[in-house]
Amino acid sequence: MAIVIDKSQRWRVLAAHVFLIALCAVVIFPLLMVISISLRPGNFATGKLIPDTISFEHWRFALGLPSTAADGHLVYPDLPVLRWLWNSVKVATLSATVALFLSTTAAYAFARIKFTGKKAALMGLMLMQMFPAVLALVAIHAIFDRIGNAFPLFGIDSHWALVLAYSGGIALHIWTIKGFYETIPVEIEEAAKVDGATPWQTFYLVLLPMAVPILMVIFLLAFIGAIIEYPVASVLLHQQDNLTMAVGSKMFLYDQKYLWGDFAAAAILSGLPITVVFVLAQKWMISGLTAGGIKG
Amino acid sequence: MGDLQIKSLHKSFGDVKVLQGLDLDIQDGEFVVFVGPSGCGKSTLLRCIAGLEEVTSGEIHIGGKRVDDVPPSKRGIAMVFQSYALYPHMTVAENMAFGLKLAGASKQEIAAAVDHAAEILQIQPLLDRLPKALSGGQRQRVAIGRAIVRKPGVFLFDEPLSNLDASLRVKMRVELARLHSELKTTMVYVTHDQVEAMTLAKRIVVINMGRIEQVGTPLEVYHQPSNTFVAGFIGSPKMNFMECALVSADEALATVKLSDGAVLQVRADARTKAEGEKLTLGIRPEHISASQTEAHNSLHGRVQVAERLGDTTFLYMDSASTGDTITVKTDPENTLNAGDEAHMSFPRHHCYLFDSQGQTLPRTPRVRA
Ligand SMILES: Nc1ncnc2c1ncn2[C@@H]1O[C@H](COP(=O)(O)OP(=O)(O)O)[C@@H](O)[C@H]1O
Ligand SMILES: [Mg+2]
Repeated sequence: MAIVIDKSQRWRVLAAHVFLIALCAVVIFPLLMVISISLRPGNFATGKLIPDTISFEHWRFALGLPSTAADGHLVYPDLPVLRWLWNSVKVATLSATVALFLSTTAAYAFARIKFTGKKAALMGLMLMQMFPAVLALVAIHAIFDRIGNAFPLFGIDSHWALVLAYSGGIALHIWTIKGFYETIPVEIEEAAKVDGATPWQTFYLVLLPMAVPILMVIFLLAFIGAIIEYPVASVLLHQQDNLTMAVGSKMFLYDQKYLWGDFAAAAILSGLPITVVFVLAQKWMISGLTAGGIKG
Repeated sequence: MGDLQIKSLHKSFGDVKVLQGLDLDIQDGEFVVFVGPSGCGKSTLLRCIAGLEEVTSGEIHIGGKRVDDVPPSKRGIAMVFQSYALYPHMTVAENMAFGLKLAGASKQEIAAAVDHAAEILQIQPLLDRLPKALSGGQRQRVAIGRAIVRKPGVFLFDEPLSNLDASLRVKMRVELARLHSELKTTMVYVTHDQVEAMTLAKRIVVINMGRIEQVGTPLEVYHQPSNTFVAGFIGSPKMNFMECALVSADEALATVKLSDGAVLQVRADARTKAEGEKLTLGIRPEHISASQTEAHNSLHGRVQVAERLGDTTFLYMDSASTGDTITVKTDPENTLNAGDEAHMSFPRHHCYLFDSQGQTLPRTPRVRA
């Protein structure tokens, strides 16, 4: 260490470390609990953190593998957990992609193009989406019911309906990306104009490559949002095979029978795609992509 | 094909009138510098020429073609921005090639143009680097290279050197002069730095508050400023101004009286002005000589501060004849020190007279005896 440090400073550093480690423990504990529950035989929410015996019955169930029943013959799981996972990934990927496309282009317009009613549109967008989707559940159900009559593809119990519903929630993304665009000097785009780029080329070839890190963040947020979303999905999807993981998991928790073990295994599974997407996206979230364009 | 005409150009942002009726005629191959204080509208004028701002009224012709409604890329111009504005995610070569690529040029064509520009600017070793791996001076070269590749009829520079440190600025200034003599393309250059203006320009356009104050060669604007603004803006340290009243005028000489009654003579024709009319007398610091011996056509004062820079000495003088400090630029051997009384001699042919509107009164030639 190069800087000379006061004695009292060392104590403060130590205290800070203790506090942070405690905080980490608190944050990590629930995850460890869930892993523990999923590996524990039987369906108990309470018990030791490190199970005495490890059983993969819940994982077999979650992964759709048959298990041997007490009387000796194979029992296949009655709930399509992997199928739900696939549904979740599909809907989340599609809606995150659509949300990304809509919000980058909309944010570009809001950040760079002059048009009347811009301020009102931005505020309106924000205000409207401040109300939780739960408040609109009835309306959402009614709307998609009607749409379904005209375009069955977007009706109730269709994943496309869910994608459409999720893609609407982009106000916050638009604000975030707009904020980023505004940090990019206009001169760079003007240079592109002088170089002969059309507005679309300027956006696509100059602005967008610089915005990759923020776009990855937005994609990730939209993806996570879609994976964990419950209320809208529960209203729009009914058939067991169509459910997303978030809705389907609820089926483990009957009033009479709480399948905590299966629920825990499924919960971990549903976290998996988020982790994968995060790791993939992280590669692109390098900062400093805009460095060096101006001044210096 | 790189001549440029501007006819009664107006530009307003809402209610703010930034450019108020500019007329200008630039020859093919000329190096013209727009100079003026910050906020006078230089950048706005350049951006109007580039097509990055729509003009409110007036005409712009480039290469004989009216271009007010033509998009920037079709005007035959290339622009170098103050902030360089390189594309940060592209290498130096890609930055320079971007325009040609968009225009659909062939690979060989692009490579040849980029190589040529890189050679002129001596940046071949940098072609594969990203802008963030370049120094400020190198970035500026790349920005200029990107302009060269476009083979424009007119180069537009907006304060291209103002982000560089002093020594690099001098170096790049010399290079720009070399570049111009090599390419022989019209260059329009904006700066608030009068040294850049004086050294680079074939003609200087002095702009103030959205109006052209004077157009002329560097020496013309230095020796024959058309008004107090140009006289005060060109030259460093700036010209000394003092209020005076006309005593008498003939075809060769005007006699004026300063506020304390001191009388000076100026080689100017003030016959159009009435006796007693308020005028302004101007003289540059380098034209005053100060010493303890009595001199002809001089004012009396006391040295407030003496700044010795080695090659020159600046004396800041107080005088009863004017409220302002008078700056005098003398040779380093001058022995005057702070607190000394001295006479400042004002050579008559180096003095200027300005009327109450700030316009320069006609100067009369020096008659040698
Ligand atoms: N886009 C704009 N909107 C409103 N005012 C502007 C705009 N661009 C420039 N101005 C105003 O025009 C004046 C001249 O600006 P500019 O041409 O940049 O000056 P300079 O380059 O000579 O320093 C300034 O007062 C500035 O505030
Ligand atoms: Mg400017």
